Amino acid sequence: MIDILVCFIGASLLLYVLLGGSDFGAGIIELLPAGRLREAQKEVINHAMGPVWEANHMWLILIVVILFMGFPTIFTTLMIALHLPMLALLVGIVVRGAAFTFRHYDAVQEKRSQRIYTVLFGLSSLWTSLWLGIIAASLNRGIIDPAAREVWTAWFAPWWGVYPLAVGLFVVCIYAFLASIYLVGETEQPDLKKRFLRLAGWFNGLVVLAGGLVFVASTTERESLPSAFLKNPLNLAVIALATLLFVALWFFVAKRRTMLTRIVASGQVALILLGWYVLYAPNALITARGPLSFYTEAAPPATLWQLVLALLIGSLFIFPSIFYLFRVFKLPGGAKH
Amino acid sequence: MDDLVAARATMAFSLGFHIIFAAIGMTMPFLMSVAHFLYLKKKDPVYLGLTKLWMKGVAILFAVGAVSGTVLSFELGLLWPGFMQYAGPIIGMPFSWEGTAFFLEAIAIGLFLYGWDRMSPWVHWTTGLLVGVTGFVSGIFVVAANGWMNAPAGFDWVNGVAQNVDPVKAMFNRAWPHQSLHMQLAALQAVGCAVGGIHAWLYLRGVASDLNLKALRIAMVIGASASILQPFAGHIAGESVAELQPAKLAAMEGHFKTSRHAALTVGGLPDVETQTMKWGVELPGLLSLLAHRDLNAEVIGLDKYPREDWPPVLIVHVAFQVMVAIGSAMALMGVLYFWFVRRGKFPRWFLWVVVACAPLGVVAIEAGWVVTEVGRQPWIIYGLVRTKDAVTPVPGMVYHFGLFVVLYLCLAVATVWLLRRQFRTVQQKFGG
Repeated sequence: MIDILVCFIGASLLLYVLLGGSDFGAGIIELLPAGRLREAQKEVINHAMGPVWEANHMWLILIVVILFMGFPTIFTTLMIALHLPMLALLVGIVVRGAAFTFRHYDAVQEKRSQRIYTVLFGLSSLWTSLWLGIIAASLNRGIIDPAAREVWTAWFAPWWGVYPLAVGLFVVCIYAFLASIYLVGETEQPDLKKRFLRLAGWFNGLVVLAGGLVFVASTTERESLPSAFLKNPLNLAVIALATLLFVALWFFVAKRRTMLTRIVASGQVALILLGWYVLYAPNALITARGPLSFYTEAAPPATLWQLVLALLIGSLFIFPSIFYLFRVFKLPGGAKH
Repeated sequence: MDDLVAARATMAFSLGFHIIFAAIGMTMPFLMSVAHFLYLKKKDPVYLGLTKLWMKGVAILFAVGAVSGTVLSFELGLLWPGFMQYAGPIIGMPFSWEGTAFFLEAIAIGLFLYGWDRMSPWVHWTTGLLVGVTGFVSGIFVVAANGWMNAPAGFDWVNGVAQNVDPVKAMFNRAWPHQSLHMQLAALQAVGCAVGGIHAWLYLRGVASDLNLKALRIAMVIGASASILQPFAGHIAGESVAELQPAKLAAMEGHFKTSRHAALTVGGLPDVETQTMKWGVELPGLLSLLAHRDLNAEVIGLDKYPREDWPPVLIVHVAFQVMVAIGSAMALMGVLYFWFVRRGKFPRWFLWVVVACAPLGVVAIEAGWVVTEVGRQPWIIYGLVRTKDAVTPVPGMVYHFGLFVVLYLCLAVATVWLLRRQFRTVQQKFGG
């Protein structure tokens, strides 16, 4: 039963990073200079994100609900120790959603206000992605101390340091990379397509660089990633595969196989998340007082049953609806009238 | 401001902000669907214009509701970890169902907003209706969680630990039916009347008369009907509170001394020091009648409770009076509305009454939440866990509060500004 819930958390996280991540990435891309393509790029992003961003954002809420219902200790420990990064994340989420919607639905489309929305949307996308990475990195550092009440140790130390920052940058690069790959297939305009491909190339390089930075920065941690990876060869294989897939990715890009490019890029992200999970499994958190595992911190069985039931029944409604949503707006040959 | 007060202020402020957008999200899609339906049936372009106008409102307000709702799901843990530790496994179930409904709502709204020329017209219309249905259902579920805080069920409390957890029993707690009925009607009432009031105002100013009159009629059918039904729902809620939370009822009524043939005090300010009511109009026996259907029934007063278990009497009583006064006025307005509909014409003075009622429903929703939330104090789980024991140990909560006040005030100003721009374009498009 706990296995099912962990799978649901994993699947939601993956979908949030892939779908929500490309939305965040689109905001980050809009921060970059685009010259005369600026307006056309904005239109493409509005159309690509508009119908789906709210649904894409729901995966995060799903994770929160599963955690607080199924794993209350993990949830409360997180919310206490990472209060500040969570707060930063929330501010970003609020500003970003509002700016994106306001930009599209402002009845008077004038240059100045549109510019303000775009800048807010871009900055908050960047900000939120960065904090998401910082939070992810803070889970397993062994610094969170549930009993600490001294301001620095309790509420700053868990997320402070070069390693969380490096992971934050890594997430930013991954999101921008995903968005570039994804946006290539969202436009028919040759010069925009070219721009997104060029961006994908740049961010591909940056992802590799930031990934390296994460490894280097992790040497300042209690246990560095290289030594942790060496202990677990499977993990090394997973990360190596994710990197090697770049070759396949650019092969498909050259062949103009949009769908396959997207699938390979998603596969890379899935592998990175898998590698991350395997590294610490089955622990959700590693605190200064020991690990908190999904298997020891779960709610009573009666609750878990209800949660699994709700998720399974919910999936029966949600997955077909999501599929329909994407069919109507995304897949080639979607219903047209 | 100490950390507990700041945490409570943050929660109150976030919830008070979100509840307006939640109510709009539960009601406006229905108004939009009715207009859309009439357009598809009658092919009258005015209804199409109205549908698109309301759709833009729904899009903007839904986004604000969605992000402020996300904030709340985090804040349960950020502010009240001591509550979620116990409550998560017991009362997470309605949240999981609410999440499902809200997820479907987010999908439906994407389909409706962007699907105008991508789906057959009636499939498209259905997605719009589904936005309303899923929003309404998620509202019903989330009230179940609040109901449980008022009437905890579905577990045994053994030495400060919850055992034998039964999430189904917790979800179907005894406060859920009456709270949900009251809240859902309040959403329909407040938003229906607010939208009706705005269009009445534009109509009175001579802007786009045809469109505004049609809008007024659609919004007010829902708003006025809900206004008429609400006093009955409120009465059912009052009876349940009398049974489940006598201290809350006593605070609402400013009823200090347990007595038979208890008087209902209209207006008035409770003085906690002297335990008396000042300047109120007393109607003998009526409180006993309303609470227990018997003029001579005993109504428990605050004297049955130790002082530290009293809710803040003054706030609860004043909020309650505000809510009841508005509810009564709006019910009267609702009756008048249907009377004028039968006569076939609205006199101008009545349209001004409708305009005046536009903000009142929202005020009543806020007042009602003050009654139920402040009235539950000092408990976060009624009778079991005190709010002060559930608050986060994180210091400096006053900054957290300040941050959200500034953020939400900016958001509110921006939203109002955007809506005004929407209406101004309507004026240009549909003329005087």
